[in-house]
Amino acid sequence: MDYSILLAQAVLNGLVIGAMYMLMAVGFTLVFGIMRVVNFAHGEFYMLGAFTGFFTYVYWEIPFVVCLLIAALTIGILGMLVERTLIQPFRSDEMSGMIATLAISVIIQNGAVSLWGPQPRAMPDIVTGTLAIGPFSFPWSRLVVIAAAALIFTAFWLFMQRTRLGRAMRAVAQDTETALIQGIRVNYIYPLAFGMSVALAALAGALMGPVFSVSPFVGLTPMLKAFVVVILGGLGSVPGAVVGGLLLGMIESFTATIFGSLVSDILQLLLVILILLVRPAGLLGQREA
Amino acid sequence: MRGFLKVALLSTACAVSSYSASAQTLKLGVLATLSGAGTAWGMAMQGAAELAAEDVNSKGGLEVAGKKYKVEIVAYDDHYKAADALTAFNRMVFDDSIKFVVGPLGSAPALALLPVSTENKVITMTMAFTPKALSAEYKYSFRPVIPSDVFSDPQIKWVVQKLGAKKIGGLFPNDESGQQVGAANEAAYEAVGAKFVAKEFFERERVDFVPLLTRVLAKGIDAFELNGNAPQTAGLLVKQLRELGFKGPIIRTGGDATADILKVAGKDATENVYVHQPINTESPAIQEYTKRFETKYKTPLNAFSPFFYANVQMVFAAMQKSGTVTNSDKVREALRGLKEFETVLGKVNWIGEAQWKSNQQLDAPFYVALLKGGAAQVVAKCTPKVCE
Repeated sequence: MDYSILLAQAVLNGLVIGAMYMLMAVGFTLVFGIMRVVNFAHGEFYMLGAFTGFFTYVYWEIPFVVCLLIAALTIGILGMLVERTLIQPFRSDEMSGMIATLAISVIIQNGAVSLWGPQPRAMPDIVTGTLAIGPFSFPWSRLVVIAAAALIFTAFWLFMQRTRLGRAMRAVAQDTETALIQGIRVNYIYPLAFGMSVALAALAGALMGPVFSVSPFVGLTPMLKAFVVVILGGLGSVPGAVVGGLLLGMIESFTATIFGSLVSDILQLLLVILILLVRPAGLLGQREA
Repeated sequence: MRGFLKVALLSTACAVSSYSASAQTLKLGVLATLSGAGTAWGMAMQGAAELAAEDVNSKGGLEVAGKKYKVEIVAYDDHYKAADALTAFNRMVFDDSIKFVVGPLGSAPALALLPVSTENKVITMTMAFTPKALSAEYKYSFRPVIPSDVFSDPQIKWVVQKLGAKKIGGLFPNDESGQQVGAANEAAYEAVGAKFVAKEFFERERVDFVPLLTRVLAKGIDAFELNGNAPQTAGLLVKQLRELGFKGPIIRTGGDATADILKVAGKDATENVYVHQPINTESPAIQEYTKRFETKYKTPLNAFSPFFYANVQMVFAAMQKSGTVTNSDKVREALRGLKEFETVLGKVNWIGEAQWKSNQQLDAPFYVALLKGGAAQVVAKCTPKVCE
């Protein structure tokens, strides 16, 4: 195999993985920025999104875009309910909130196992075939993931920047008390932010379903990587999550292609330690006051 | 009226006691994983024991030395853990006084309880693939399933010769079992003249293999080996290999994972995939057993089940031959003496003296199948020596 093909393959794969990490990390960091909650159940919402995508696409045979919308909506609403009933009572206590999300993650994962069984389910590709450009060939199924992730993130970014609600969310993230004084109803912002965050995870899950198959355990790896990305980019920083996600995807893809999986895992974590030593707040994060 | 009642009650009591005197109970233990990830295997073992018991009970019980015994199954869950398996086994031996057990399932549970079963002369029928499960020391340990160190050599030889593959690649999990399988596979391929040009290891939670496969494919391999990987991982590897444009043969030498490979990778990606198959799914006896199992348990048959069904039938035959259901020494001798025994797997024998110094390994034919149009088609029948 030619080196140029090897590199092109590594770039494409880095983008696919990076796009998934980005979607996961953006939601994860959003909840932390606004609510100061580390959501350990984030990966389980990714898994629920994957299952929703799977059932709607395979059994209802509706267009995949509609499946994505259904996944984002249903899981988003579920997230809001979860925030309202299980996370809100611990709002003043970060540690209890974290333990509550840990409990939610165990309940969701085991619930999924008892409901759908531990067996993996294959989801058919949304598009088949490969795009051939000269000597390079890229599977369409992976190109679609990159395009969809870019679109989803753009929509999210516009919402945060251009709408009243988005501005209100950013205000709460910057300073809750001042936001309250300005008349922002924080009690509405919290569940909404949590719902949006898990909807992004669900979208990532539904998008990756056809690439990696669907099972109750698929949320574990993306969750761990979201942690790494968020530390890399800066806890609470959305641009940091984007940069961190794409960077980690690229690093993972290139190091694994060149040096193999074991060296790749070592290098990724070395990088995290290095960044924590040099910039404890992450690449684009801000130091806590 | 009162007198009549007394007589009626008395006669009923007599009838009940005379019934229990004529039909005694023979308890058969099942010690397997009945919850969690290994449930498919545990169900395969429990189902086999229950179906074999159903066979004899439907004829009024197992007739041994003129007495009829109703077979009762006592099943315990080992949660795939050595400590739980040992606890359950102790209960079987000391509380339930069981002398014949279908199980243990995994290698770790087997190693934990074999000293106890040997000391208490309990015949076990294990699924453990570890070479230590059979030895001269563990006199009462029998193994109906065929472990990978028996089937991998002849199968690899056949596949390499048929495909003319010279350069092989493979990915293995980065833990003790993955490293071991990787090394054993490399040796087996090199023994028949092929070369393992790309061998990579990965952490078990990985789901994206594209970078690693890109690396492997860059070495220009002729065929890819899936051995050592969990069923779901094997499916993902097949899918991602095909996505990268690899059209060459893919070989699964390890345990039965065909259903998951097909499920995860889909019909098109699984063309030109060679898999190890413990049973011949085209044989009428296996088809009948499959139908019976699936009707009763509403779950797809795991290919290990017929092996345990055959083993339990052999134990019943050995009891009849030795004329006892309690003396496990006599039953063991009779069991070891069974030759060319007719089962759902075909005619079976015992082997293993040369390899483990214990002639208690079931010898049944096994198969190599080629996946075509989403189904496995048998292409070669094998013995521990050769595949044809």
